[in-house]
Amino acid sequence: MSNNNSNYTNPAYSNGYEFSGGAGYELPTYPFVTPPELLGAPPTTYPVVIVGGGMSGLTLAAGLAQLGVPAVMLDEDNTVGVKGASSRGICYTQKSLEVFDKLGIFERIKAKGVEWHIGRTFAGNDEVYNFNLRDRADFKLSSQPPFINIQQFYIEGYLVERIAQLGVVDMRWQSRVSACTSNGDSVNLQIDTPEGNYQLNAAYVVDCTGTGTPFHKWCNMPVSSIKRDDRWCIADVRFKVQPPTERHTWIEAPFNDNRAVWQHLMADEVWRIDYQMRPDDDPAYVSREDVLRERLAKQFGAQAECDIVWVGPYSYRSQLVERMNAERVFFMGDTAKVVSPFGARGGNTGISDADNLAWKIAAVHHNRAPAALLNSYHQERHEAASVNVQVTARTTRYLRPNDGAERLFRDATIALAKQHSFARALVNTGRMAEANPYTRSGCCTYNHPLVGRSVQNVAFTWCNGQAAHLNDLLRWASGNLLLLWFGDLSTTSAGKLQNTARVSGVHMVQVVGKVQQTSAVEAVHDATGALAAACGAQQWALIRPDSYLAATGQTANAQLIKAIATALALP
Amino acid sequence: MTHMTTDIQLNLEDADGFYEQLLDAHLDLSDKESALLNAKLILVMANAIGNSAALARCLAAAKA
Repeated sequence: MSNNNSNYTNPAYSNGYEFSGGAGYELPTYPFVTPPELLGAPPTTYPVVIVGGGMSGLTLAAGLAQLGVPAVMLDEDNTVGVKGASSRGICYTQKSLEVFDKLGIFERIKAKGVEWHIGRTFAGNDEVYNFNLRDRADFKLSSQPPFINIQQFYIEGYLVERIAQLGVVDMRWQSRVSACTSNGDSVNLQIDTPEGNYQLNAAYVVDCTGTGTPFHKWCNMPVSSIKRDDRWCIADVRFKVQPPTERHTWIEAPFNDNRAVWQHLMADEVWRIDYQMRPDDDPAYVSREDVLRERLAKQFGAQAECDIVWVGPYSYRSQLVERMNAERVFFMGDTAKVVSPFGARGGNTGISDADNLAWKIAAVHHNRAPAALLNSYHQERHEAASVNVQVTARTTRYLRPNDGAERLFRDATIALAKQHSFARALVNTGRMAEANPYTRSGCCTYNHPLVGRSVQNVAFTWCNGQAAHLNDLLRWASGNLLLLWFGDLSTTSAGKLQNTARVSGVHMVQVVGKVQQTSAVEAVHDATGALAAACGAQQWALIRPDSYLAATGQTANAQLIKAIATALALP
Repeated sequence: MTHMTTDIQLNLEDADGFYEQLLDAHLDLSDKESALLNAKLILVMANAIGNSAALARCLAAAKA
């Protein structure tokens, strides 16, 4: 199977960054370990092979490891982040932080990252409007903050360590897939490594290689793509004197020839400053250190001293696959869709792709659900991807309007927004990523407006009075559906429900308002009613391992049993 | 707004009065200033109408 004529070459990076300058970060490196296939072991069919150890691939690997699925993860590089491009994503939403809490790395992200609440938007020398996320009631139910800013490679590094700690998933570095063929009931991959080439088979392959993936071609997957002429220069800098910890956005910055500028803080007191450039600017010129320093001096004053951590030009396109899978090959993160960076809808929705597919693959692997469950990954995440492509395209059009009517209307929104609050709704500097609702999934029973939506990581207490969160229950359910029963429950009904639950692996919990006699084996207290409210205030709620509400209802009847079957795609 | 074309039927309380106000608002404006005023006016009026279906009908009627 293997041969020792290695044709492994160092990876070429084309993730929107063409080159970079600046001091950068020292990224961790992971060793190449000779895989069993190169030591003469007979070929095995692995349940899952994840290709690409970026944000979505690592999130999936951690999710599968936690659910006991012995997957193999392949990465062509030997580090996290991208060499020379030390920072990519920087803003992680509440939903992503909830996923990381479930995977056990949230506390590390919180300790390293920066929370921000105040955002200010400027045009010219005027502040158009500002907001404080602490005023937003919709973020308060969760135990995670609205956002944390942190360099992407930190999260990726935490995930690598967590996966290693869980010890279920085999991470193989410097391992590039050079061919892929489908054999009906498995997928065959050709792997190139520094020590030689080998093949392996997988029941499922998840392509997380990102933009420019070879899998689209290998799988004949049609991809729609729109290239934009918007050009940016990204600078990660560290100041001697810190600016205020606020996100500042200029639609038209006087110090950048009236083009847009973003300014926000990440970990290690490093600021990400994004400068919108002219479409015809030379990427090499705008990224030169002296040119960047001139730009920084215009913005922060000539006396503002700073170190340049990283600088590079950035352009983007918009891209969407026709389907989220080609039979046994699944597309995830940037492999499925590419969006402009506004609203942080790239990385964050890749994390949700991973959270969506992990429990489904685990359920199929552990024979708790038929393979048909995996079809819902396309139904749900393609809807999300389409919405995210549309939402980011609208922002792009606002930030880079065509001359003529488009620019005229933007001028009108800015002029109005300074005077009238209604017009602020038209100012579109990015709509933050959210937990996308699923409105047409075959695995949801749509009998309540909250079905198909993510339930926030709300707080409640265990019977002994200790604080807990929804994620604690989801971890306890370990990849099974979670059935919450709110309020009183007769002993007969409890028995019946538990029998139903046992058959389908559903983990059931009785949620009571105050300390009282409970009939279910497991019970928790929801004194504030927050958990009940988050689930639609019905008698029962069926929550999936990815926190999405699959169904809800008022009585323990055949509808509940049907809803469980629907959620798992059982015949 | 129940019928498809309800909001395209005559609804102005004082057609001549409004038209006069509209023209007066543009007096002494350059073409550029006039265009900006119109754009702002469209957005203010769109907000006053609010309803998405009604706005779509307005756009279609103007475009036809």
